[in-house]
Amino acid sequence: MRLLTAVLRTIRNSRRLATGLVILGLLVLLALFSPLIAKAIGGSQDPIELAAYDKWLVPGPDHLLGTDQFGRDVFAMVVKALAVSLQIGAIAGVISTVVGVIVAFVAGYKGGWIDGILSTFTGILLVIPTFPLLIALSAYAKNVSLFQVGVMISIFSWPFAAKTIRSQVLSLRTRPYVDLARVSKARDIEIIVTELLPNLLPFIGVGFASSALGAIFGLVGLEIIGLGPGGVIDLGQIIFNAIGTGALTLGAWPMFVVPIALLTLLFAALNMVNIGLEEVYNPRLRGVAGE
Amino acid sequence: MTAEAPPVVAVDKSQDSASRTGVRAWLSRHPLAAYAIRRLGLYVVELWGALTIAFFFFRLMPGDPIQTLIQSLQQNYIYNAQASAEIIARYKHEFGLDGNLLTQYLVYMQKLVLHGDLGPSLINYPTPAQTVILRSLPWTIGLLGISAVLAWILGMVIGAIAGWRRGKLGSAIATNLSIALSHVPYFFVALILVYIFAYSMGVLPARSAYDSNINPGITPEFIGSVLKYGLLPGLSIVIIGTFSWILSTRMLMIPILGEDYLVYAEAKGLKGRRILTRYALRNCYLPQITAFGISLGFIFNGNVLVEQLFNYPGLGTTLVTAIQQLDFNTILGVTDIAIFSVLTAVLLLDLLLPLLDPRVKYWK
Repeated sequence: MRLLTAVLRTIRNSRRLATGLVILGLLVLLALFSPLIAKAIGGSQDPIELAAYDKWLVPGPDHLLGTDQFGRDVFAMVVKALAVSLQIGAIAGVISTVVGVIVAFVAGYKGGWIDGILSTFTGILLVIPTFPLLIALSAYAKNVSLFQVGVMISIFSWPFAAKTIRSQVLSLRTRPYVDLARVSKARDIEIIVTELLPNLLPFIGVGFASSALGAIFGLVGLEIIGLGPGGVIDLGQIIFNAIGTGALTLGAWPMFVVPIALLTLLFAALNMVNIGLEEVYNPRLRGVAGE
Repeated sequence: MTAEAPPVVAVDKSQDSASRTGVRAWLSRHPLAAYAIRRLGLYVVELWGALTIAFFFFRLMPGDPIQTLIQSLQQNYIYNAQASAEIIARYKHEFGLDGNLLTQYLVYMQKLVLHGDLGPSLINYPTPAQTVILRSLPWTIGLLGISAVLAWILGMVIGAIAGWRRGKLGSAIATNLSIALSHVPYFFVALILVYIFAYSMGVLPARSAYDSNINPGITPEFIGSVLKYGLLPGLSIVIIGTFSWILSTRMLMIPILGEDYLVYAEAKGLKGRRILTRYALRNCYLPQITAFGISLGFIFNGNVLVEQLFNYPGLGTTLVTAIQQLDFNTILGVTDIAIFSVLTAVLLLDLLLPLLDPRVKYWK
């Protein structure tokens, strides 16, 4: 309860954080209601089914964004694809944040040679260009599922989370209240969970937002090269289709403008959350990034 | 797999032979040298670690490149007979695929370190992978280098002004636009630009790196053509890059603005622009140079897609083609080059910054 009010107060105090969260919330709602929206558009039939309508219809009252090369309703497709893009962000965000937090705490709290090895390893992973490896991984791994792609992306995105959180752990572990807890014979795990973790929540949030951002972009990138997971349509795949079928030359602009606009909105919202959280935690930055 | 050995020890010994008073004494009298040696040691460890991880990553991936090669040779009627065990063994040797994983690794590292040899490229067999990569490297360096530097300069200038004129409308617009757009992939802007300039208006080319009717060479026509074809991909990198540099410059700039020496400069009656460029911006650009070095790797990530969209004959396109055909000497080579350039850029910056900026002291 105390935690909840603290969170609410933080959100109220930062306009940027609030804006980002509101946009994010709206997008999530849109994604959650995607089955209903699809139903509203298609009536009894599935608007994303092949040849549900005529091909290449222009935007109009019946089809707000027109139809694609297979006669699928673009609006219904985009909404459904948004849900997939958000899912990949959530999957990869959770995995890489959990791994990042564990590594950061072990390295930052234990210190010494464990920290040395873990930090060097994290540093090395950070400089390896991840996109080539990701392309390679999905090119070799045929018929991957959405979850597997999420896992693959997290392999490369946890070092970011680990790095930012570790530096905070380092500064927190020498604070008097941690010493006090140690003197009173609290176990390491107790200190970590009850003393350190709550104070690091905003940083964990930053780590999550960055990883989710990276994962969504990663999947879009894979789709554009034509290597996405099978059986699902995400926003990147719609863009890829638009390029592949010549929608650009045919003037079917909604097919790439709308997914790009939605993704840009998503990136902007996540970035606002990121910067908002950083400002909350680092008062010196407050007003620096803002107006 | 990772860096367990402390790098300092290994390097110290070779440094010592000339010194009579012992390494430690000499190093304590030369903190800058000690720092440089430690930094160099870390560089070697990081480079080795990253190259090793990349090697095993690609070797552990499923897929049989030799079979792919033989199939493509058969399809091209170079020979019809079934591949004998002898031929397969020979190719395995050529591609560094014989023996167990450890032997392969040692052979690969030995060739790479001693001869700069990445092994033959599969698609372009028997051309070595390094030749294939070197062919596409100038295009990427040209496109990426020019647009990255341009974005950095533009972002610094606009960011500094946005910080300086804080509270003004223009500054607020620039800042909020940067927050919204700094994480958007280059590729999106590229796509929009292609739609507007190549398809709707038809004024700029959307594919390839130069007009195929013009012979490559140092002629005004060819250079003009390269610039014209590079405009759209370059512009997309510049636009997004500028936004992210605006944000970070502004963040560095604003805490400086309250400093005493700026108030003093103002009290002396110096003009605003002079204070901005000579006094305030000076303290921003050095950290931004470091950030630039680190960002190189991420630019490379985004650039792969831009090159792919424009069919630009750079490293990104080479990489994607190589991956599609399981040409993993080339894949690994491209990855190695990206790792090498990022680490080397960061190393050089770390070594040069203490010389440029007396406030930077990494050593104790």
